[in-house]
Amino acid sequence: MRTSEEQVIRTVEGIAEPGRISGRRRFQLTWPALLVFVVIVALWELAARSGLISHLVLPAPSGIALALVNLFTTGILWQHLRATLTATIAGFAFGAGLAFILAVLSSFWGWFRRIVSPYMIILQVTPRVALAPIFITWFGFGLTPKIVMAATICFFPVFINTLTGLLNTDEEALEMFRSMGASNRQIFTQFTMPSAMPVTFAGLKTGITLALIGAVVAEFVATSQGLGLLIDRFTFRLAMDESFAVLLVLALLGLALYGIMEFLDRRVVFWTHEERLSKKEIRSRREREETA
Amino acid sequence: MVRRGTPGMEEPRRATDTVGHRAGSGGPTVRARGLTKVFPRGKVVALEDVSFEVRSGQFTSVVGPSGCGKSTLLRLVAGLIPRSSGELEVHGSEVTAPRTDIAMMFQRPILLPWKTALENVVLPRRIRGKLTDRDWQEGRSLLRLLGLEDFRHAYPQHLSGGMQQRVALARLLITGADVLLMDEPFASLDEFTRERLNLELLRIQSEVDATIMFVTHNITEAVFLADQVLVMTPRPGRLAGVVEVPFGRPRAIELLRTPEFNDLTFKVRGLLGESI
Repeated sequence: MRTSEEQVIRTVEGIAEPGRISGRRRFQLTWPALLVFVVIVALWELAARSGLISHLVLPAPSGIALALVNLFTTGILWQHLRATLTATIAGFAFGAGLAFILAVLSSFWGWFRRIVSPYMIILQVTPRVALAPIFITWFGFGLTPKIVMAATICFFPVFINTLTGLLNTDEEALEMFRSMGASNRQIFTQFTMPSAMPVTFAGLKTGITLALIGAVVAEFVATSQGLGLLIDRFTFRLAMDESFAVLLVLALLGLALYGIMEFLDRRVVFWTHEERLSKKEIRSRREREETA
Repeated sequence: MVRRGTPGMEEPRRATDTVGHRAGSGGPTVRARGLTKVFPRGKVVALEDVSFEVRSGQFTSVVGPSGCGKSTLLRLVAGLIPRSSGELEVHGSEVTAPRTDIAMMFQRPILLPWKTALENVVLPRRIRGKLTDRDWQEGRSLLRLLGLEDFRHAYPQHLSGGMQQRVALARLLITGADVLLMDEPFASLDEFTRERLNLELLRIQSEVDATIMFVTHNITEAVFLADQVLVMTPRPGRLAGVVEVPFGRPRAIELLRTPEFNDLTFKVRGLLGESI
């Protein structure tokens, strides 16, 4: 007992700067990956310049970089980027929002779950990419079909994860809450909902990247704006430098969206992240010392 | 770690230290008559015709092998599950649902990982309404009572098993309930920690003057802690007998070495043996 408590004290006090890795240590960990990246890009450049690989198959990195700069400076990219981003975020908001609400309702009522679940599964097993032309016929060439496409694709992981999280509750904890005289609403807000958050966030992280895929797929089929359209046009003209530049922008956009979700995850579900947990702990200890 | 003699609650009520005196105060706090529980699924008779009384301020251990219905008994008293037949009264009124004068503690601490130790302790108050400064202060002094004041801002994941169970104990005490039901609360802890917490529990009981029903499968622990031991046997869960424990309080660990103590544990063992 004594020793374990001392250990605990040490862990609580010991984390001076939680989650901080020194710059040198970070470099030690990442330099092999960086080196490999530099080597690959260099080889790629050489291969492209020497004509070993056709420009139409794989344009040189320097060409892609130049195209990227041009796309940004001429301002062509911005409206398309905005269009794709709007569709992705709106689609994600609708899809994930609806998925969340339906999951909560399904966790409340078994009968509701039994009615809804088959449709969810049918929606999931249908290749939704095939729905894109149908959505275009329904909603026209504007933003709407893209939003609907993004929403339908990101719906399922959010729904299934949230539902799993909400149903997979600790029976004994529920008993404890009931022994305290907690109402169903209190049990939900104080216990079930927060317990489900880690799994829900895993679904949201998958969902946001899927929403981007949905938006781009719809843009491939028919639209007047968007990064998907841009790639389609450039490849049609065999402007491979520009195509790859747009592809790079899409990758970075996906990374940024995922990064935002990851950031929110660490804030909201802080208790599953050791460094966030220790930070919060140290902050509340500091606040206590100030008031004391 | 534990500072003995620290005043616990705002106004610590000093309990009388003899069993005899406690027994004399009023009618039974918990009264069960012919208590029976049949689980409808599979028609399992978990508890059959159990009758007993717990007097105010008395420490009652419930001991028996697994499947003897001791946890079911506690859940019935807590009002968590409905009984199939028989009578069950706490403070003279029938138990039909969870009540504010009854509180329960489980084998696992069940602390919420997104709340600090202190936030976990005040949870029962939060369930009942908006938290006031008074609630926070009481939570804090309860953590002090359990030697955990310095850890009130720590999250459960950073606490050892013993410390977590102490936070759970503080959360039990803040309910203000005077009937405390404890379902093998220290069973998952190591021997040393369990012994320490048992002694602490006795100290706390004398400070808050609660009526405790304590489920355990450890005979020595059952006798050491209790004023009376309910001995239960399995399939179906029945009360094999009640053993009165006449030792005064406070009790020290040396009690375990006395022949009188051994006689009582053998008496309990005998009751258990008859029907196994």
